[in-house]
Amino acid sequence: MNQTHKITLMLHEWSDGNREALENLMPLVYAELHKQAARYLRRERQNHTLQTTALIHETYIKLIDQREVDWKNRAHFFAIAANLMRRILVDYARTKHREKRGGDALTLPLEEAALVINDEKDIDLIALDEALNHLAEIDEQQSRIVELRYFSGLTLEETAEALNISRSTVAEDWAMAKAWLRRELTR
Amino acid sequence: MGQENWRQVKEIFGDALQQTPEERPNFLDRVCRDDKKLRSEVESLLASFDDATSFMEQPAAEKVASLIIESKHLEMGKRFGHYEIIKQIGEGGMGEVYLAKDNKLDRKVAVKILNEKFANHESNLNRFILEAKAASALNHPNILVIHEIGETDDIHYIISEFIEGETLRERLGKSVMNLGEVLDISIQIANALTAAHLAHIVHRDIKPENIIIRPDGFVKVLDFGLAKLIGQKNRSLIGLDESTLKQNDTAKGVIMGTINYMSPEQAKGEQVDERTDIFSFGVLVYEMNTGQTPFASDSISETFANLINKEPLPLARFAANVPNELQHIVAKMLRKNKDERYQTIKGLLADLRELKENLSFEEKLERSAPPNNENATAILQATTGDVNKRTAETQHSFLQPIARKPFAAFLFAAFFVAVVGFGYYFFVANNNVTDSDANPLKSIAVLPFVNESGDANFDYLSDGLSESVIDRLSQLPQLKVIARSSSFKYRGENIDIQDAANKLGVQVIVTGRIIQRGDNLSIRVEMVDARDNRQVWSEQYNRKTTDAFAVQQEVAQTVSEQLRLKLSGAQEQKLAKRDMVNPQAYDLLLKGRFISGKGGTDNKKKAIEYYRQAVAIDPNYALANVYLAGSYRALVGHSVLNPKEFNPKAKAAVQKALELDPNLPEAHLMIGHQYQDDWNWAAAETEYKRAIELNPNLVAARNNYSFYLSIMGRHDEAIAEAGRTKELDPLTLGNRVAFGLALDRARRYDEAIAEFKKILEVDKNYYGAIYWLSYAYLDKGMYREAIDSFQEAIRLGGDNPSNQIYLGASYAKAGEREKAQAILKQLETSNEYVSPGELPVLYVALGDHEKACASFEKAYAAHDLQLQFLKVDPSFDPLRDDPRFQDLIKRVGLP
Repeated sequence: MNQTHKITLMLHEWSDGNREALENLMPLVYAELHKQAARYLRRERQNHTLQTTALIHETYIKLIDQREVDWKNRAHFFAIAANLMRRILVDYARTKHREKRGGDALTLPLEEAALVINDEKDIDLIALDEALNHLAEIDEQQSRIVELRYFSGLTLEETAEALNISRSTVAEDWAMAKAWLRRELTR
Repeated sequence: MGQENWRQVKEIFGDALQQTPEERPNFLDRVCRDDKKLRSEVESLLASFDDATSFMEQPAAEKVASLIIESKHLEMGKRFGHYEIIKQIGEGGMGEVYLAKDNKLDRKVAVKILNEKFANHESNLNRFILEAKAASALNHPNILVIHEIGETDDIHYIISEFIEGETLRERLGKSVMNLGEVLDISIQIANALTAAHLAHIVHRDIKPENIIIRPDGFVKVLDFGLAKLIGQKNRSLIGLDESTLKQNDTAKGVIMGTINYMSPEQAKGEQVDERTDIFSFGVLVYEMNTGQTPFASDSISETFANLINKEPLPLARFAANVPNELQHIVAKMLRKNKDERYQTIKGLLADLRELKENLSFEEKLERSAPPNNENATAILQATTGDVNKRTAETQHSFLQPIARKPFAAFLFAAFFVAVVGFGYYFFVANNNVTDSDANPLKSIAVLPFVNESGDANFDYLSDGLSESVIDRLSQLPQLKVIARSSSFKYRGENIDIQDAANKLGVQVIVTGRIIQRGDNLSIRVEMVDARDNRQVWSEQYNRKTTDAFAVQQEVAQTVSEQLRLKLSGAQEQKLAKRDMVNPQAYDLLLKGRFISGKGGTDNKKKAIEYYRQAVAIDPNYALANVYLAGSYRALVGHSVLNPKEFNPKAKAAVQKALELDPNLPEAHLMIGHQYQDDWNWAAAETEYKRAIELNPNLVAARNNYSFYLSIMGRHDEAIAEAGRTKELDPLTLGNRVAFGLALDRARRYDEAIAEFKKILEVDKNYYGAIYWLSYAYLDKGMYREAIDSFQEAIRLGGDNPSNQIYLGASYAKAGEREKAQAILKQLETSNEYVSPGELPVLYVALGDHEKACASFEKAYAAHDLQLQFLKVDPSFDPLRDDPRFQDLIKRVGLP
């Protein structure tokens, strides 16, 4: 069984509700994302832009046997990629946060100062992550749209396609999620 | 906000966005009516939306790629040399630990990344590297194997084997441990410490977190040498006063955790040595028995005081049925004065072992004495063929708590059982011999064991087990054992035993299957007498996956016993000696052999990697050294490795093997090769003969000896040796080629041609046969056929200078001089290495003896290996009277 076929199978399994398949899938998708990202960076170093959508698409094409998937699997795949992107960014922000606080608990225990890692105009990713978790409880579709749009850089059309909903629905949900999250973060 | 409410807000919000800001208040008046809460919720969202113009419009993903690549922290999928991080599995005082995949060797490893804090202190770092290096040299199955210590992109890391299992800390938290388990774990820890102390490495931080227990019960001790850093750190922390510590539970926990296992001298900040480990280990044994550490208290200061002053309560206070011996052992480990403790871990290990043996013997006694009919049946079954129903009842079962018995009674009963048991065995065994003596079994084939575990990872184990049974049986005199390369053709489920026996020319077939469930390995072996398709014997072995050795030994020995071949004492010793190998190293050797057996230079290179690892883990592993040397030599022969660098390495490896095991047949074979390569003919012969003497069934040794005899001109002996090989390993075409070659060298061309043709009937594209058939044609003077045949060989992938030389010679002798000249010109200007010892074949065919002799001189200066054929290659016949040629033969040392 080749890698593509294996990954496609895992994707099917996960789509069918097997959580373990997702656990197995994540690192593989991550590895491929990583590879593709490295390739992009080499190629596009000069202008510093990065076509993230293309990044995910290429990862998708590379990993998944197109003949064996339907929109549902596709949506699941994009969900994984988007979720991974989110984790990567938030973990990164956490690390930075920790570094600014200065080191591990053994030697620096007492201080509980909350440091904001971002410049003012930047978004506090850690807070956003928490707010997004909260949003997912109220409206899961909106939170997924945010993952796809914000963390994976998909356009409205691509997001609509990935979730198999209409573009206008995506646009409305996106607008509301933005408003809601923004309000949460400025509270 | 409820779902209903949310849907409403969402709808209104969406519609409101369609309105211009001016229209919105009226719109909201209309739809919200009196619901003020609803209206304020929507309004607040709308306000937020208007503020949020650029909010999240720039995807965060833009940053992702650079983060993935540049983040210093290791993430899933991140590559790290040839390691690929899978996930984080732990975080300790010194850094993070990740599970990673070693892509080179396709295995899981643990990657420990040093905290920047540690790494930034240069003296810390140097000491860390020094200690870790020393620890990595420890090579003990109970010590975590460190594969690599290094640095990349400012990250300091340690790569070690990845152990799936639980820490002793986790185990302690689960349930009470019984005595058997405690002793089992303790002995393994003691084994690890013995190896470390022998190398003058003190662990310094023995605690339950540093012991990992695999699901199969195998114990690994971690973090040797790393403790020095942590130890220092802890010492400075002890100086802190308790009020500071109370504010910080984490710090307190760490210190408490460590102080509980500290020795008094460690706590006082004095010099520590091996005896400190013995004390900490004592705390561990105490805790395993009682569920608590001996000096622990609510406060650090009290714990500290207890450690210095208080004698621990006896084990019996907390646990029932604690043997007195164990109480003595633990008390001696926990002596405050290190001069009163066990002075060496060896002494402790001996006491632990003795206790375990006594207890298990005692337990056996309880199960089997007094002997009754049931026992007699069991013994009877074990020694006759009728054991189908029997499953291994020999699982270590002394894991239950054991009641104590007076020692004298115990001894007496043991003696009684031994005598009676032996009597039964003797009687049955003797009976067995007489009933079938008339029909002794003389030939056997072991088919590859079938891996039914469903896990391809066990392929190498099933192959390895069957191989080692073959190896062991091969060492028995007067038994023909079919070589692996032939018997392994019968792979899979539905083998017709009688057909296989016929084709292999044997009376008895051994088959086996391996089934794995969890950590349990179940191996079923069956021996069938093919003459009447009768099952002679069968046995099932249920073992843990780590016990491959024990199983191997049992299977080989039982099978050989069944064959009624009386092992002489010397042979038993030899068999036993081969098994004293580190299981991990053995495992790696099996993997190497497995992959090497798949053929191809890439696989050989991978095999080298495995053999190197095997040797690294167990430098005293003779056979691994031989295989390493063999792979080096093979790849030098394929021009993949540089001879200048790797020939000496190959020699060193074989020498080492021979020092380790002077009776290792494979080592003698390899030395024979090397002597032959060096034109040290007499020495080569001695080695080949010794290899065959040590293992009469070692096909490779016989083949090479046959080849050697051919080039020495001792053709009858060569043909006899090759014939014997053909018989041992009839299905390997290579052996039949060797036989044909011996005939050709003896100038029995017709027979040689017939032999090669027979091989080609089986496989018309078999390169070796086509190639040597061409020679036979040429030698016999059938030049047309030789030309066609050489061309065929070249077409099949043999387009190398050697074949071109002989093709050219065939043309020259067939009268087509221009074609021969054209080939010669090509060869003389070729960039490839053209052997100057072989090129004279073409010169002589063209009648140019001067150039032939000049080329020979070059070959002699370069120690060209082709010169070994001078004496027997008919191509050189026209030169035989030339004194220069005669002198050359003399210089090469050929008789």
